[in-house]
Amino acid sequence: MTSRNFLLGTACLALLPAMALAQDAAECKGKVPTLNVIGQGMPSVTALDKFLPEFDEKWGTEVKITLLGENERRAKSRLDASTGAGAYQVLYIDEANLAEYATAGWVYPLADVVPADYDLADFRVDLANVSSYDGVQYFAPFVGGGDVMIYRKDILEEKGIAVPQTLDELVAAVKATTDPEAGIYGWTARGQRGSGMNVWRWTPFFRGLGGEWLDGDMPAFNSEKGVEATEVYMDLMSYGPPGVGTFNWSDSVEAFRGGQVALVIESDVFGPWMEDPEKSQVAGKVGYAPPPEPLPSAGWAHGWAVSTAGAKDDCTRAVAGDFVGWATSKDMEMRRLEAGIASDIGRTSTLQSEAFRAAVPQDYIDALLATGPRTSLLIMANPAWPEIGDTLGLALEELFTGTRTDIQGALDEAAFDAEDSLARVK
Amino acid sequence: MTRKHFVFWTLAPATVVLASLALVSIAGAVWFSLMNRTLRSPDYEFVGAYNYLRLLRDSRFFNALQISAIWEIVTVTGTLALAIVLAVLVHETVKSPLRRNLICFAFLAPVLLPRVAAAFIWRFLYSPSLGLLNYLAGLLGLGPIEFLADPSIALLSVAVVDIWQWGLFFTVILVKLLETLPKDPIEAAMLDNASLWQIHAYVTLPMLKAPLISLVLVKAVESLRSFDLIFVMTGGGPGKATETLDLYAYQSGINLGGRVSYASAMSILLLIVTTIAFTIIWRAGKKWAG
Repeated sequence: MTSRNFLLGTACLALLPAMALAQDAAECKGKVPTLNVIGQGMPSVTALDKFLPEFDEKWGTEVKITLLGENERRAKSRLDASTGAGAYQVLYIDEANLAEYATAGWVYPLADVVPADYDLADFRVDLANVSSYDGVQYFAPFVGGGDVMIYRKDILEEKGIAVPQTLDELVAAVKATTDPEAGIYGWTARGQRGSGMNVWRWTPFFRGLGGEWLDGDMPAFNSEKGVEATEVYMDLMSYGPPGVGTFNWSDSVEAFRGGQVALVIESDVFGPWMEDPEKSQVAGKVGYAPPPEPLPSAGWAHGWAVSTAGAKDDCTRAVAGDFVGWATSKDMEMRRLEAGIASDIGRTSTLQSEAFRAAVPQDYIDALLATGPRTSLLIMANPAWPEIGDTLGLALEELFTGTRTDIQGALDEAAFDAEDSLARVK
Repeated sequence: MTRKHFVFWTLAPATVVLASLALVSIAGAVWFSLMNRTLRSPDYEFVGAYNYLRLLRDSRFFNALQISAIWEIVTVTGTLALAIVLAVLVHETVKSPLRRNLICFAFLAPVLLPRVAAAFIWRFLYSPSLGLLNYLAGLLGLGPIEFLADPSIALLSVAVVDIWQWGLFFTVILVKLLETLPKDPIEAAMLDNASLWQIHAYVTLPMLKAPLISLVLVKAVESLRSFDLIFVMTGGGPGKATETLDLYAYQSGINLGGRVSYASAMSILLLIVTTIAFTIIWRAGKKWAG
């Protein structure tokens, strides 16, 4: 074989997937009457509504997105995939349950189902890492990131407090800004149980203070570091609004947007939420900074993946894969930015665009860039994590709401249950 | 065809459908409860009574059983008490049929609301920082009250929503029942100089004994199905303060690692306990009414 023939052959082979896809588009149009998608009410998902007819027209299908709350969405996806029911072709998954889905084979590797035209390499590196398991990317992230400290510039200025750089400075600032008589609370945080709720926000304290999830094969979050992290977290919560012990992320964000809170560490995606003049009473008064040292930033990502149970035949797989690529594409992100949605960014190209720079304050972008290197997956990357996280979340909620007071005892019980969960996974 | 045959053949299809639906799901739950099935893996094996024996060592299960019992007692008693008081009040104070019907119509509105919608509305009303109830409490110099975050009052706060929905509905039923009662015994009591509360306590309400027992049973069954209300309002929290048995079964079967077999064992035990409890209540009620 001459090298010319070899190159020609290689080029033809490389073109095969694209040819196969073109064939799929022609052959599969109208063969998948309905595409069922599980969604969560993120702006990027709800904004998709008005563009759906475009996709429906392309494939002769009808996309039906079922919107659910976070816990319900996780439960529904797990139930649909694990029982093999396959009622949904596209599942909404996240960093907390990726290990479980990947090891169980409930979703296809992304590159196997999403056409290469959608430029998978353009996904933000931090989000692509979080949406990968054992080096294989399983879902297309359209929202995610890390943590950012969000604070009220006007309150800190009035009190003469510098932006906290360390955890000790944060605790001092929270105490100094709390004034319940004036309806101002120094802090807010998630208290409601759940691996994605209170545990998610508690984890940076635990890991930042030196805690490790496992000691060999045994759970170790009931260590001295675990107790210390819980004490700090509870101390900060005591300067939060009434009811903070059962706050979910929405309660926490709304308390800040309602002008009741001076400082909060939350997922960076909520930064632009604070700048919405229609929904935020504090728009224009908010500053952004990386979380104070030694707190790391909790990496997360939400995205869509194609279900192995829901998309068994070639055409369903082709339509579902194309939907995932289309809904998370560069074009779609630019359309969202044009509609004023700057919170959900999954693409590097969007982050670098002029449109994004025009949509958010410069110090928010600076905070994102400064936090990036400190962002990683802080939770236990184990298929048993959802169960372990939920059990730990219950123990923490009991402590936060005063149902029980012995921190060590509560963590010991959660760790004891985690032993069972880990053993079952083995 | 005799009347007996006609009744038998018209009832048979519905009975067969209902019985098969109930039996198939119960048989499925019993089957699962004897296995070690989880949602994570398609493999499972027979484990005998392990799940039932583990439940007997599970303190969270007994906590859920206790919360379920308190929930039943509070919501059934509260609903009936509210309905009786309001029905008597409406019956005695609102004499115009038009006004009475308008009040009845307004009282029907809460029960027509989907449970989840009612739960969200009240969750917002209860909010310690943004809710109307705490605003009113603040005007009186009280609070803020953490209705759903304080373990000592969270269950009661959720029960108030259930009582609000069903108590007003039962009020309408009782108002209509009071209107149908014969006038003679009431007039006789009035001639004997009986006070208003004596007339109702000793004449009208005893005459409504049978329908009241039916309402108690209907509410007791309905209260067992309050999963959606509690799930939306508290998710079983704070801690385990509002975690009823159905909520714990859901958490075990779906959220906590998908232990379907363990959750099935819990459901079967719940079925047995409620069947026994309802049989006893039904018999006691019949004896009292008879």
